[in-house]
Amino acid sequence: MQPKHVLDGYRVLDLTQYLAGPAATNLMVQMGAEVIKVEIGPHGEPVRNFPFCRDGRSGYFIQQNRGKKSLCLDPKTPEGLDIIKQLLKHCDVFIENFAPGVVGRLGLSWDVVRELNPEIIMCSISAFGQQGPLAAYPGFDYIAQAYAAVSDLIGEPDRAPSMPMLAFGDVGTGVHALTAIGYALLERARDGGGQWLDISLLDSYFHYHEVSVQAYSASGGKVQPHRSGSHHYAVGPSGIFKAKDGHLMILALLHQWSPLCRAMGREDLIADPKFVDNDARMVNREEMIAIIEAWLQTLPSDAAALEILEGARIPCAPILSVPEAMAHPHMIERRTVRTIDDRILGKFQIPGMPLRFSKYEVDENIQAPLLGEHNAEILQRFLRYSPEQVRDLESRNVLFSKPV
Amino acid sequence: MASKPILAGYRIIDFTQYLAGPSATRLMAEMGADIIKVEMAPFGDPSRAFPYRKNKRSAYYVQQNRGKKSLCVDLKDERSKQVIRDLIQQCDVLIENYAPGVIERLGFGWEVVRELNPKLVMCSISAFGQTGPLSHLSGFDYIAQAYAGVTSVIGEPDRPPSLPMLAIGDVTTGVHAACALGFALLDVHRTGVGQHLDISLLDCYFHHHEVNVQAYSASGGAMVPRRAGSHHYAVAPTGIFRGPEGYIMILALLHQWPVLCKVMGREDLITDERFKTNELRVANQKALIALIEGWLQSFPTDAAAIAALQAVRVPVAPILTVAQAVAHPHHRARGTVRTVSDRMLGEFDIPGMPLRFSNHPELPSLQAPLLGEHNAEILTGLLGYGAAQVAELEQGGVLVSAAH
Repeated sequence: MQPKHVLDGYRVLDLTQYLAGPAATNLMVQMGAEVIKVEIGPHGEPVRNFPFCRDGRSGYFIQQNRGKKSLCLDPKTPEGLDIIKQLLKHCDVFIENFAPGVVGRLGLSWDVVRELNPEIIMCSISAFGQQGPLAAYPGFDYIAQAYAAVSDLIGEPDRAPSMPMLAFGDVGTGVHALTAIGYALLERARDGGGQWLDISLLDSYFHYHEVSVQAYSASGGKVQPHRSGSHHYAVGPSGIFKAKDGHLMILALLHQWSPLCRAMGREDLIADPKFVDNDARMVNREEMIAIIEAWLQTLPSDAAALEILEGARIPCAPILSVPEAMAHPHMIERRTVRTIDDRILGKFQIPGMPLRFSKYEVDENIQAPLLGEHNAEILQRFLRYSPEQVRDLESRNVLFSKPV
Repeated sequence: MASKPILAGYRIIDFTQYLAGPSATRLMAEMGADIIKVEMAPFGDPSRAFPYRKNKRSAYYVQQNRGKKSLCVDLKDERSKQVIRDLIQQCDVLIENYAPGVIERLGFGWEVVRELNPKLVMCSISAFGQTGPLSHLSGFDYIAQAYAGVTSVIGEPDRPPSLPMLAIGDVTTGVHAACALGFALLDVHRTGVGQHLDISLLDCYFHHHEVNVQAYSASGGAMVPRRAGSHHYAVAPTGIFRGPEGYIMILALLHQWPVLCKVMGREDLITDERFKTNELRVANQKALIALIEGWLQSFPTDAAAIAALQAVRVPVAPILTVAQAVAHPHHRARGTVRTVSDRMLGEFDIPGMPLRFSNHPELPSLQAPLLGEHNAEILTGLLGYGAAQVAELEQGGVLVSAAH
């Protein structure tokens, strides 16, 4: 039988909350997996209150949790824990992002889980990893960002670092986790056997350093990475330039410097010793920026500047605001931004599915679950609980549900 | 521990250059795949010229290309095209990150290569994707960042946006690509048929918007994402505070606010009308920051302030520089930073392998290839060419190699 998507037929027990873990299982849903989201009663996933929120329904929650099934229980009750353990026998993947040690104290450490299901892939996501001196500390995206020497490299040199207003770390860590899960599933398909994956925000953030770590280290400390505002500290022209209407991103590295000089009508600069190579341009960075910005001011508009630069195939871009990006025809045509329709919040937009498979379509007809919406379905289907047993567990605060 | 690496037996023909694509195949090399890096004669991957560089060897190139085999060919020569066609029939994956259209013009578009090898998974990485009005434009990391509405939300509100001094977009796009490849290989294991993956910097950058897109859209434009310097525009206290010595990242979201007030000895603030809810704390952010920074100044050192916050489990971090991060005992203990030994550059540090599998140790001895180092090995070993044929291709400039 032709599967509907790459993970059609795979089942995931998802004990994650907030963002990094849910971002991983969000992609798994879109690849066709059945994701059972275990929420901790009585309130469930904390992001059910994160902005934007209306009528008790969160757009933040919906974006990350569409298509998941919600099972809301108290894992500290013997019945609640037993439900999780029974379900693990029916799942291919178990994913959690509590602080290290918590899942063990709940009674769901890797040693327990592998006994229950030797073929399961368990993935633990944490701020700092499962071991090491920082492992026990609580952490979210920006905390790991600071420890990874990423925060220090963003912002103006004469001010405190700037915080990017989006969660590079959490979403990126979710994708790292999912990558590891995919290869672990591939190995299992080929050779059998489960394993445990240890994914951290810190590792994932640190992994983004393409220049700074090797350049600092291999140069024996001569290259000192530092934040430098709107322009790169090591290569140029590479940065954000004041143009006629607003600002433009322009990258004219290495072989693109000469075309830029020609596009500006300044062929004389190509051989100018002040700008002849990247090192010289870095020494004379301020003068170089002034020349480019002065040229941009001679053009009637930012659009005119972009047209000239694009014509010379010099990488350039307008600095779009989030609303401008969401309205851009390219984003809409490619569904980089897509409109969803939640049964409570109605229609709104979220980022598109970034993994595009030629063989399979993404099923967009999926809804984020109400709290505990699938309690009965899951317990009846996998554990053969009767409706009476489910009602009994709800009355004794083992299971929880809410109509939102 | 398993006896062989996770991707042992998988062969990848890798046409990628610069960073996004090489990041994907670097992860696959670290999982044991056989990567044949096709480099364009005469100079190979342009990143061989990227800093830090000594004796013509680039630490940037080494970081991204350890464990790959280099085949350096003149791709315009028909004899080399035949080599590539032969190789494609022996590979599981073809990956490329040229501008859309280029791989077709080279003769290796999806419609051609799927005929050569129906099990092949092809992954195309580009700035804007294979379709849509922007797809024809050239682009690198920061260009897609600007189009994704990401640049606009980084930096000080009274200045132009700030450029993060690391390639979050390229590396995360590489991880997204490696992720999609893993699941596509799992699908080949099940169905026996490959497919084409279309991964873009723009999609991947946009995918990191966890709040902005849904909040702007679902609020009907009432919430407008914007850059806000060192503190978040939507939650408080969340930001970078001046400590007694340097800067300190503190996140005291929701339930952590009362905990922070208590440790500051300011329980009165919990019920203070200015700070009772997140919305009020955002509205009165200046006063809030002044209170917290005033308290931080009462400590003799940043470390003392951080320890006080860690003791009550308020998420906190020092803003480490790259130099501090590579020396941090946690980063060292965990291998978040690791020392590699290149045969020409010697020992230096690079980021660790972020995907940690319980069944597989790291492969520490991988070496980045010299240009064309494996020309003869690949042609004779894999394709059965004779030594005389290889020599002829070398003399004809179809195969190229260099000693660095």
